[in-house]
Amino acid sequence: MLEQIEKKVVAGERLDADDALALFRSHDLLAIGRLANMVRERRHGDRTYFNKNLRVEVTNVCMASCLFCSFAKLEEHMPGSHTMTHEEAWGKLEARMHDPPSEVHVVNGLHPGLPFSYYEKLLEGFKRIKPDIHLKCFTGVEMHFFAQHYGMTVREVLEKLRAAGLDSLPGGGAEIFHPEVRSRISNDKATADEWLEVHRVAHAMGMRSNATMLYGHIETFEHRVDHLMRLRGLQDETKGFQAYIPLAFHPDGNGMKHLPAPTAMDDLRNVAVGRLVLDNFDHIKAYWVSMTPKIAQVALAFGADDIDGTIVHETIYKAAGTRSPDGLSEADLIRLIREAGRKPVERDTLYNVVREHEKTSLPESALKVRDRKAGRHLEVLP
Amino acid sequence: MSGKTLGAVEYLNARPLWDAFGAGKPLEGVLGLDLGLPSEVARKLAEEEVAAALMPVAAAATLGGLEIVSDACIGARGPVRSVVLVSEVPLHELTELRLDLSSRTSAVLARLVMKKRKASPKLFGATSKEAIASVGGTRGALVIGDPALAIEGKYPHVVDLAQAWHEDTGLPFVFAAWFARPGALSLDDVRELEKAKAYGLESRPALARAHAEAHGLSEEGLRSYLQTNLRYDLDDEAMRGLERFLDEAASAGLLPATRFTRVSSARPATTPRHKPSLDTILARAEEGARLSGDEGERLLAEASLFDLGLVATSTRQRKNPNDVVTYIVDRNVNYTNVCTTSCRFCAFYRKPGDPEGYVLTREVLAKKLQEVKDKGGVQILLQGGLNPDLRIGWYEDLFRWIKSEYQLGLHALSPEEILHIAQMESLSVRQVLERLHGAGLDSVPGGGAEILVDRVRRKIAKTKCTSEEWLGVMRTAHAMGLRSSATMMYGTVDNARDRIHHLLKIRDLQDETGGFTAFFCWDYQFEEGTHIMPGEHGTLLYLRQQAVARIMLDNLDHVGASWVTQGPEVGQVALLFGADDFGSVMFEENVVSSAGTTFRMDAEGMEERIHAAGYKATRRNVRYDWLTEPR
Repeated sequence: MLEQIEKKVVAGERLDADDALALFRSHDLLAIGRLANMVRERRHGDRTYFNKNLRVEVTNVCMASCLFCSFAKLEEHMPGSHTMTHEEAWGKLEARMHDPPSEVHVVNGLHPGLPFSYYEKLLEGFKRIKPDIHLKCFTGVEMHFFAQHYGMTVREVLEKLRAAGLDSLPGGGAEIFHPEVRSRISNDKATADEWLEVHRVAHAMGMRSNATMLYGHIETFEHRVDHLMRLRGLQDETKGFQAYIPLAFHPDGNGMKHLPAPTAMDDLRNVAVGRLVLDNFDHIKAYWVSMTPKIAQVALAFGADDIDGTIVHETIYKAAGTRSPDGLSEADLIRLIREAGRKPVERDTLYNVVREHEKTSLPESALKVRDRKAGRHLEVLP
Repeated sequence: MSGKTLGAVEYLNARPLWDAFGAGKPLEGVLGLDLGLPSEVARKLAEEEVAAALMPVAAAATLGGLEIVSDACIGARGPVRSVVLVSEVPLHELTELRLDLSSRTSAVLARLVMKKRKASPKLFGATSKEAIASVGGTRGALVIGDPALAIEGKYPHVVDLAQAWHEDTGLPFVFAAWFARPGALSLDDVRELEKAKAYGLESRPALARAHAEAHGLSEEGLRSYLQTNLRYDLDDEAMRGLERFLDEAASAGLLPATRFTRVSSARPATTPRHKPSLDTILARAEEGARLSGDEGERLLAEASLFDLGLVATSTRQRKNPNDVVTYIVDRNVNYTNVCTTSCRFCAFYRKPGDPEGYVLTREVLAKKLQEVKDKGGVQILLQGGLNPDLRIGWYEDLFRWIKSEYQLGLHALSPEEILHIAQMESLSVRQVLERLHGAGLDSVPGGGAEILVDRVRRKIAKTKCTSEEWLGVMRTAHAMGLRSSATMMYGTVDNARDRIHHLLKIRDLQDETGGFTAFFCWDYQFEEGTHIMPGEHGTLLYLRQQAVARIMLDNLDHVGASWVTQGPEVGQVALLFGADDFGSVMFEENVVSSAGTTFRMDAEGMEERIHAAGYKATRRNVRYDWLTEPR
C-alpha cells in the first residue's frame, strides 16, 4: 500500500481517502515522514516560517460545553472565569511595543453577555495602537455564534468586523467535523457545515484563514480522513486556506480526562499525513504549544514548514496541561529551526517575508544532505 | 623542519622505519617523533595529535579515512617470531586464551587463524605480562612484540601467526604501516619516510646489537629477526596479503570493510582514493557490516534523518529480533552531592564544607528503598559525588544493609567513584571492585563517560579521570563478571569526530570484554550554575546521534532512549531511531533535574508510549532479562 502511495506522491498525484486511511494505519512512520518531507522540500526547500505574534484570549466565558475543553467557564462570575476590559486586552499589545508583533491572534469563548460592539471596539483599539498590526481574530465557531446571537448573516458579521480592523480568521473550532464525533464532543456550537460556511464566505470576501483538526480523543482514523477531505474540498473551491494545523487533544481538567493523551508519534503522523493529503494547502504548521517545542522541531522533518510564532501568553492548552512554555522568544524559534538544519524565515500572517535568516553554520545538525531514496526525486522548486 | 610529528610503535620491529628521526640520527628534527604502544599511537592519530603514524593496520581500518604513506610496512612472509600463540597443549585443545591487546591486528589475526584451525577457546583481554603469566594447562596466550622475543623456546606449543597466515593464504602478512589522513603529509614528507627506511634497513645489524645488549637476548637471533623474518617493503604482493586480511576480517565482522590507497614517491596520490559513497556505507550498515570511524562521521554529517532511522532500526531488529521495548523500575538515589571534581557542566555538586552539602542518612534511605519495594522496583541506581569523608567501609556497610534489608539490585558507583575510592584507600581498582562486589555490588553504571577524548575531558572536567582510566575500570569490572552500561554526554566542547571516537573506544572495549549491556546518550543540559554555554544541538541531532551510535555499536545488544533528559515525547520518538529500551521509571533523579530538566513518567505512561510506537512493553532487570510477559 505504501509503495502505491509513494508512487503517487513522487508523481505529484493526489491521494484519495483510502490512501489517507492507509497512512494513518501504517506502522511505518519513518517511511511516511520521508514522503512528507519530500513534498515539503519540493514546495519550500529548507525555508521554515515563523512569525512574531501575540495570543490574546479576551474571555473564557463560553455557552458551549465541549468535552475536550479545559479553558471555558460557562458563565460570568464562575470561579476562574475572566473577561478582559478593552484596556486590559489592549495593554497586552502595548506591553510588547518595544519589540512589536506583526499579528494579534484572538480566540475566545462564546460569551452570551457582551454586545457586538465590544468586539468591534476591541479590534479598533488594537489598530489604534499599531495601525499595521494584522488582526487574526475569532474562529469560525465564534463567527457563527456572532451571526446567530446578534441576528446577522455571517457575511454581515465579517463585514462589520473587517470594517473594525479584522484581517483574517484563525483555524480553530474545526475539532472533528464528522457528526458521529462532533455531536458527542461539541454538540452546541457550529456544525461542520456551518464552520466551513464561515470560511467559504470569508474567502469569498478575499480574507484568508487557517484550518485545524483536534485529534487524539474519541475519533477514528476514518473520522480524521473525512475531516481532511472536507478541508481539501473547500480549499479546491476557494483557495483561501493558508495553513493546516493539526492540534493534539490534551486531557487535563476536561470532560475527557479519562482518555490518554495522544503521543509524539501521533503528533508527527498528523503533520506528515496532513502534508501528504492536503496537496492544495501551502503550509503545514507544527504548533509548538500543542506538541512541545522539541517535537515541533522534529516535525520540521516530517512535513511541517511553519512552527507558528512567539505566542507570548497562551492559556487554552495551558489549562489542558501542556508541558510547553507560555511563549518562546524570537531567538528560541530561530534556534529551533536552525538546529533542524533549516532556514528560518520570519513571515507576516499572509506569508509575506519579513526577514530571511541565515541557515545554521553547524553542518552536523543538518537535517539532510542527501536522501538515499528520496534523493532521486527531490527537486527543490524555486 | 615541517613542524609535523610522527607517531610510531616503540617495538624493535618498527625501529628500522623511524630510527633515522631519533636523537643524533641523520633525520633528527626533520619530522618530530612520538613513540608509544600501538593502541596509544592509533589514538594520537585519531585525535590529531600526530600527522602520521606507524600503526597496526587493524587500528587504521577501524578509524577509517586514512591512506598508507610511503612504501614501507612491517610485514612477514612466513614466520615472524614476535606474534605467537603459546601454550602447553596443542591449539585446538585450548579452553582459554589471553590476548595481549596492545595490537588489535594481532588479536584479529589470532581469531582468523584459530577459526581456520577449529580452535575456539574463551577469549580474555590482558596485558602481555598477565597473558604470559596465565599460560598453563589448557590456558594459552597471544604474545606480541618484544615480550614475544623474550619467551622464545619456553613453551612446547607455539603457533607463529604470520607463518600460519602464509600457510593458509600463500601471502605475506602486513602488521603495520605508516598511515595519515589524505593531505596530512606532503610528498616531501613521504620522501623523508622513505629515506628513513633506507637508513634503517642499513642499520639493522647495529639495532640488533644494541637491543641484544640492552635486553640480554641473542644478537644473532635478533639480526635474523630484523633481516630475515621481517619484511619492510610494501610491494604488490604485500598489498595483496593486506587486502586479503582486511577482507577476511570484514567478513568475520571484526573490522570495517576497507581498502587503503598507497601514496609513495614512486606513486604520488594521483590514483583515485578509495572513498565509499554514502549509499554504499548505508547499504553495508543495513547488512550489518562493521563501520569505520570515518564512515560513522560521514553518516552523522551527511545521511538523511530517515536513512539513519531506517538503518538504526534494522540494526536494532538484528540485535533484538522482536517487537519489544524494555524498561526498568528502579530508583536513582544520589547518596551525596559533596564532590571534589568541580565539573563545569554540573549544577548538582557542592564542594566539601559547603552548607548545602549532604550525605543521605539511613532513615532517609530506608524510606526511599521501601518505596522502591512497594512500587515493584527491582534495583537502585546509586551514584554520588566524590565525597572525601566516605571511606570504603561506609560503602560496604551500606551495600550489605541494602542487600539484607531490601534485596534490591545494586547498580552502583560509576568508574569515577570507583577510582576515587581506590585512590583514597590506596587500593587497586580490582581490589575496590572485589570488596564492593563482596558487599553486594551487582553492576556498574556507565555514567561519567562524558566524551572519552581527553582533549574534551580536560576542558569540561579537568580533575576527572582520563578516558583510559574510565575504560580501565570497566575492563576490570567486566573481567570480574560485572556488567555495565555505557553512556555519552555530548554537546559541550566536543565535535562530531570526538563523538565517533567515543563510540569506537566503547566498541573496542566491548570486542575485548563483551561486558557492556547497553548504550545511552544525551546532550549536555544547560542551566544556571553550570559553566559551559549550550551549543546549538537540539532534538534532531539527538536522534541522529543515537541512530549513528546504534549503527556503530554493532557489538552492544541494547540502546536506551534517554527520556529523562529529552522528555517523554522525544524518548518515544527515539524508539524509531534505534532504541529498544526506554530506561527507567524514575522516582527521582537529582543531577539532571538540578540542571533544570524535570520530567516524570510512571510505568503506565511508559507502556502507553511504547504501545503507541508500535511495540510491546516488558519490564527488565539490569542484565536486560525480561521480568514480565511482553504485552
